[in-house]
Amino acid sequence: MSPPPTNSDNDPVLVRVENAVKHFPKRGGLFNRVIAKVHALNDVSFTIKKGQVLGVVGESGCGKSTLGKVVIRLHRPTSGKVIFDGTDISQMSNQQLRPIRQRMQMIFQDPNSSLNPRMTVETTIKEVIGLHDVVPESKMDETIDQLLKKVGLRIDDKMKYPHEFSGGQKQRIGIARALAVNPEFIIADEPVSALDVSIQAQVLNLMMDLKEELGLTMLFVSHDLKVIDHFCDSMLVMYLGNVVEEMPCEDIHAHAKHPYTRALLSCNPITDPDQRGELTVLEGEVPSPYDPPAGCPFVTRCAIKTKQCETENPPLLDRGNGHRVACWEVE
Amino acid sequence: MPDEQPILKVRDLCTRFKTGRGIVTAVDGVSFELYSGETLGVVGESGCGKTVTNKSIIRLLPEHVTRYGEGSVVDYRGTNLLELKEHQMRAIRGNEIGMIFQEPMTALNPVFTIGWQIEEALQYHTDLSPSQRRTRAIEMLRLVEMPNPEKRIDEYPHQLSGGMRQRVVIAIALCCEPEILIADEPTTALDVTIQSQILRLMEGLKQKTGTAIILITHDLGVVAQACDRVIVMYAGQIVEMAPVRQLFHNPKHPYTKALLDSMPKPGRAGHQKRLPAIEGTVPSLFNLPKGCRFAERCGHRQNNCETALPDLIAIGNEPHSSKVRCFYPLGETA
Amino acid sequence: MNRIKQMINTREAKKLWRNKLALVALAIIMLYLLAALFVMAGGISRVTCDTVIGPNKMPGFYRQDTPEKRYENSTKKFLTKVKRALAAEDVEGALSEVSLGPFTVVNKSPAELEMLVAEVDALAGELNESPNLDIDPSLLPKIADLEAAEAQLKAPLTAWQQFVYDVSILLGTDAQGRSIFLRGIYSIKIAIQIGLVTAIFAVSLGAFLGAAAGYFGGWVDHVVVWIYTTFSSIPNLVLLVVLAYAFTNSAAKDTLLPVYIAFGATFWIGTCRVIRGETLKLKEMEYVHAAQTAGFGPVHILLRYILPNTAHLMLINFSLLLIAAIKSEVILSYLGFGVKNQPSWGIMIRDAGNNGDVVGGFFWEIGFATALMFVLVLAFNILSDALQDAFDPKHV
Repeated sequence: MSPPPTNSDNDPVLVRVENAVKHFPKRGGLFNRVIAKVHALNDVSFTIKKGQVLGVVGESGCGKSTLGKVVIRLHRPTSGKVIFDGTDISQMSNQQLRPIRQRMQMIFQDPNSSLNPRMTVETTIKEVIGLHDVVPESKMDETIDQLLKKVGLRIDDKMKYPHEFSGGQKQRIGIARALAVNPEFIIADEPVSALDVSIQAQVLNLMMDLKEELGLTMLFVSHDLKVIDHFCDSMLVMYLGNVVEEMPCEDIHAHAKHPYTRALLSCNPITDPDQRGELTVLEGEVPSPYDPPAGCPFVTRCAIKTKQCETENPPLLDRGNGHRVACWEVE
Repeated sequence: MPDEQPILKVRDLCTRFKTGRGIVTAVDGVSFELYSGETLGVVGESGCGKTVTNKSIIRLLPEHVTRYGEGSVVDYRGTNLLELKEHQMRAIRGNEIGMIFQEPMTALNPVFTIGWQIEEALQYHTDLSPSQRRTRAIEMLRLVEMPNPEKRIDEYPHQLSGGMRQRVVIAIALCCEPEILIADEPTTALDVTIQSQILRLMEGLKQKTGTAIILITHDLGVVAQACDRVIVMYAGQIVEMAPVRQLFHNPKHPYTKALLDSMPKPGRAGHQKRLPAIEGTVPSLFNLPKGCRFAERCGHRQNNCETALPDLIAIGNEPHSSKVRCFYPLGETA
Repeated sequence: MNRIKQMINTREAKKLWRNKLALVALAIIMLYLLAALFVMAGGISRVTCDTVIGPNKMPGFYRQDTPEKRYENSTKKFLTKVKRALAAEDVEGALSEVSLGPFTVVNKSPAELEMLVAEVDALAGELNESPNLDIDPSLLPKIADLEAAEAQLKAPLTAWQQFVYDVSILLGTDAQGRSIFLRGIYSIKIAIQIGLVTAIFAVSLGAFLGAAAGYFGGWVDHVVVWIYTTFSSIPNLVLLVVLAYAFTNSAAKDTLLPVYIAFGATFWIGTCRVIRGETLKLKEMEYVHAAQTAGFGPVHILLRYILPNTAHLMLINFSLLLIAAIKSEVILSYLGFGVKNQPSWGIMIRDAGNNGDVVGGFFWEIGFATALMFVLVLAFNILSDALQDAFDPKHV
């Protein structure tokens, strides 16, 4: 068990994101001009300490996947900094990034599209190891075998192609590929969302074991509050490109303050039919990211909004204990 | 639980497909009843046959590769739907049995307004005049809680959000006042907050219209939230059928129990601990075990589980008591 | 080895194997390829195709000709050829291309041969004496060589020669008295050659540009799209006509080069579009993202992650382009802009029309050329459809 984040204040910070902003242009018209911008990330800041697992939760289009991709530099942030172990990687070129890429890896959502269908498991992993020279050629086979064993695959599976595996097995291969270069930091983008419930538990267990064993630091992106709550030390709740609340996972049920977090909690399908009546349904829908509200992003659906909410976006204020909330109405 | 006659009786439904690798039995001996006014959940992992079961009922499977078993009966008000001709089936689909599919994006025709699409269904199945049809379409949109239906009726699908599109799909499915509504993963493509809205809407509509709903889902949360009775399927067979409370509080089949256990629970007790996962994978339909299909992954298996296939047996004597396909149902032998 | 096994074991390959019609088509295509290879290996030379073996005749009726008539025809043609060769700039080269061939001498009586030799002698004498022709005396041995051919002419036909002759008159002769069968078979080589070269070139170029445009986006994409939009606005038949004129005075005017250039310049566009679209889709696939986060460079990603996954599209496009190229070649040759100085189905069809054969009921030239083309194109169409079905995940 890793210690709760409150006790680990002295731990050095591995990842620090400062005021990250990402706009995607929408082009159109006669001369392909930029006609609109999607505000995918709006001034997002947070830190991840070594050995910590930070969850990011939110609905589709809230910017959680963009956040993961900005941190691993699949996207270049429009502005702001992504500091990895003391180095700002936000504007680095791919060439400069290469040594850092070995230290941070990603696990992807869709097991059916995350492996190259024309490559065997062995080639897939060998390629990555070869690129970063983490293992001498002579020890390559041994390393691959160990890796496969570690993620719960058979060694004779390595000559197979992705289509010969089930979804859960493919996800294990994806994990093996990410771990092949001995990274310190893993970004998991909805790693279990595409899997069946029984397989979901297997993969979560595997990730849990590996995290403990290898002392990994993780950013875990998911739309499923239950999974985040189960797996992570603390979580960011995102809405329309903004972080609306950050808190340790243990606080979520008792101390979640932001009205969106509370709504998300109550909407998440409970597994007890007796609680059916207690459901509070959040009305309305997420506004278009092309045209977000002027003030608080949640204002269109908020039950406790005031005049101020419609004009000013509340800052993400620290409420102590690693709990930050962006809401005017929460004291 | 209603006491009247079931509106739909499925008896020993077997659905086989001809594939390049031989014949595969996707649904094997499924029997159940559906009563009006209830929501019957069909839950299971991908490939368990839950979608094929329901596509067999409305005969939406590609005819040239599909074969139904000898004794298979889908009895809807005294007619066996499996024996109907395609044109007879067309009069039932949409009119008597409505359908909602998973992907609201592709279930609507992008080149016609949503009003046109609702009116089309009405034109096909009713004798209403064009102006009556339009009035009815607006009524339907209001019924599914579409804001501002008079204006929205002339919009195209791409102008609507996912949740709104799913409301339109529901409106089309319900416009002919069907007796049965088959909803195949209606909320899987939607966000949780929208999912709650849609589930609440379906519950409200069921109470208003008395339509029986078959709700297919992989999500036990949706089952807990929306269903009255539940069928749990595994590798083409029903392994357990029970009222929803009983299923969640007192599961009889080891698979149901394991499925419930493997979900992450809120609360600190299990936080960052290993989940009790079901090891192994679902057996391939091309290579099914001789005995119980779950035996290989089952924590309670005994010797005879691997050699003989248990029947689906009722537990207790009440007419709607639960049924389980297990030699050693949980909470019985212990 | 494993790779090959893998290729055969794919779902696509199995699906193709189950499609019996496609297998028949594949077998037919193989036959055509064998024929083309046979021609390329020298089995039928260009000269053989041009060799006159008799007047315009229906299949099977050739042998009923009187020897005198046959002699008259073949000798006349032969002498005309020799005369024309002697008048050419490169006399030696031209002469070397004149051959008596095996067909001119078939079934000749000694009397006939004597007549032939006398004619050749007379010709040689005439050439010697004629000041107008101004022939290098060193070339006379060449003419003597021709005389030496008499020896060959006098020899009896071997079984093989007889067989070759029988085969070559199988479908009769055209208006110039040339074997239709041999010309038709030779044209397979031309068709396959143009089809293959064009399709290989167009698919490679299209795949390369399409993948680069799709993957890099930005200005690369703009440039590629601009180029193919521009090129696709030129009808390729018009482009070929222009090129044919452009090459009129160059060494390449009689080769297939203008055809290759015209087809190559326009045929890659379709492939490029398809591959670009596929790349736009593939580059959002998570395994491409995974490769990017692993730190691989763009060239590596294109070669190992993008292009191999467009292989099915390349295969289908290749097959479609091959058909398109063969059909276009025939049309162009028919119009007189394509293949020159070689047999081609287009030329055969044109000849048949121009000489009024078709009107006169002599359908075998147009018939054979059309049938060969029809079967090949049909086979390729069936194969392309089968490939498309095999790679379509929606079909079981």
